[in-house]
Amino acid sequence: MLLCYDDEAFWERQGQDALHAAMQEAVQLTRELHAKGQYLLASPLHPVATASSVRVRDGKRHITDGPFAETREVLGGFYLLDVKDMDEAIEIAARHPGARHGGVEVRPVLEIQGLPKN
Amino acid sequence: MKYILLIYMNEGAMTPAEREACYGESTQLAHDLHASGKFISASPLHPVATAKSVRVREGKRFITDGPFAETHEALGGYYLIDAKDLDDAIAVAGRIPGARKGTVEIRPIYELTGLPEAGGVA
Repeated sequence: MLLCYDDEAFWERQGQDALHAAMQEAVQLTRELHAKGQYLLASPLHPVATASSVRVRDGKRHITDGPFAETREVLGGFYLLDVKDMDEAIEIAARHPGARHGGVEVRPVLEIQGLPKN
Repeated sequence: MKYILLIYMNEGAMTPAEREACYGESTQLAHDLHASGKFISASPLHPVATAKSVRVREGKRFITDGPFAETHEALGGYYLIDAKDLDDAIAVAGRIPGARKGTVEIRPIYELTGLPEAGGVA
């Protein structure tokens, strides 16, 4: 799983056209990954202002507005990939446009049995 | 509306037996969501010690060990769901076992056109 962290203020300064161009570059990357059989899923997320956080303590649900942790760079999107190894995942991470401004975290997925197929 | 539910937990919060029970309960939740047409994908992640972070600056690649941001609680897994609305997503988040130990962050998905069809199941 690639977790793409962005500085939302940076993209606001760059303007809609730059953001749109970066998204198109990301879409092009997903198409290339799809053609190679490496693509499972990918999507950008709405801005972090739309986040909610949920905790359950002693059976009671606590809901707060905003993300789990306040950070300057925030999760802006993700990719789920099927790749040979970490090196291949890193290659792809480095091609994501967000890697040039924010950063991309690569996390191996733990494959557990029994999950539904979609 | 699609949402990603991000499960943040202290990695030491569960014993191995509790972790197995958590996977069982989470798998059951995934099946319940699937039966109601809300399931897209879900998975735990390997511990955050296995993370690498990638940045590219002036064409040069910088790779560091560890997550992008060091937090007390780390991303341990996710659900991707198709829920009616935020309230529905909150109801699902409240059923994730990790919500009792850590925090579930709910983020609406931005539906970008032009992405390929999902290539399989993670």
